Amino acid sequence: MSTYMTVLIIAGIVPLALSFWPGLKFYQNIRALFISIALVVTLFGAWDIFAVYRGHWFFNPDGVWSVKIINLPIEEVLFFIVIPFCCIFTWEALNYINEKMR
Amino acid sequence: MKEYTVLAVFSVLATMALDRTSGVRVLRKKLYYIFFTVIIAFKLLVNGYLTRHIVMYNPQFFMGIRIGTIPLEDFLFGFSMVTISIICWEYCKKTHRA
Repeated sequence: MSTYMTVLIIAGIVPLALSFWPGLKFYQNIRALFISIALVVTLFGAWDIFAVYRGHWFFNPDGVWSVKIINLPIEEVLFFIVIPFCCIFTWEALNYINEKMR
Repeated sequence: MKEYTVLAVFSVLATMALDRTSGVRVLRKKLYYIFFTVIIAFKLLVNGYLTRHIVMYNPQFFMGIRIGTIPLEDFLFGFSMVTISIICWEYCKKTHRA
């Protein structure tokens, strides 16, 4: 397991578990979730591919698995799935808490 | 101007324009700022770790200002990514309620 993959699992595990909280009805809008994540993967994946191509940044080979998609380590592509998921979950959770407190 | 800096500033302007033109206007909601504060806290942990051990930046392409180990431009990148995901989510929730 790469270090980067461990970071992704630690970041995503609690939001993933809590996303099944019944009152939240998070997966009622699964289509919106897929579209939003797909948009982020496309836009920010393209930016990242360009940045790596230009040499803006690079990935320490000790921290990532050797599998790549174009010039990005697989973990970097997963980052664009895990982080939007965590963000959308946090947004929904805050909206839910806000409504409950009203 | 450095290339990453230019792209990062452009992404913020594009995100603000998208928020307006999509009609979502998440940037006008008070809850958004609470949300963003929570996200920044987690960002400092995750991005702080990644920029220390995994992602290496070429000083030629960013301003060289870092908050801890995180380049300033990464906060703009993060703002755009997080905000676009919320704009898209809110927009899709309204249009295709499944």
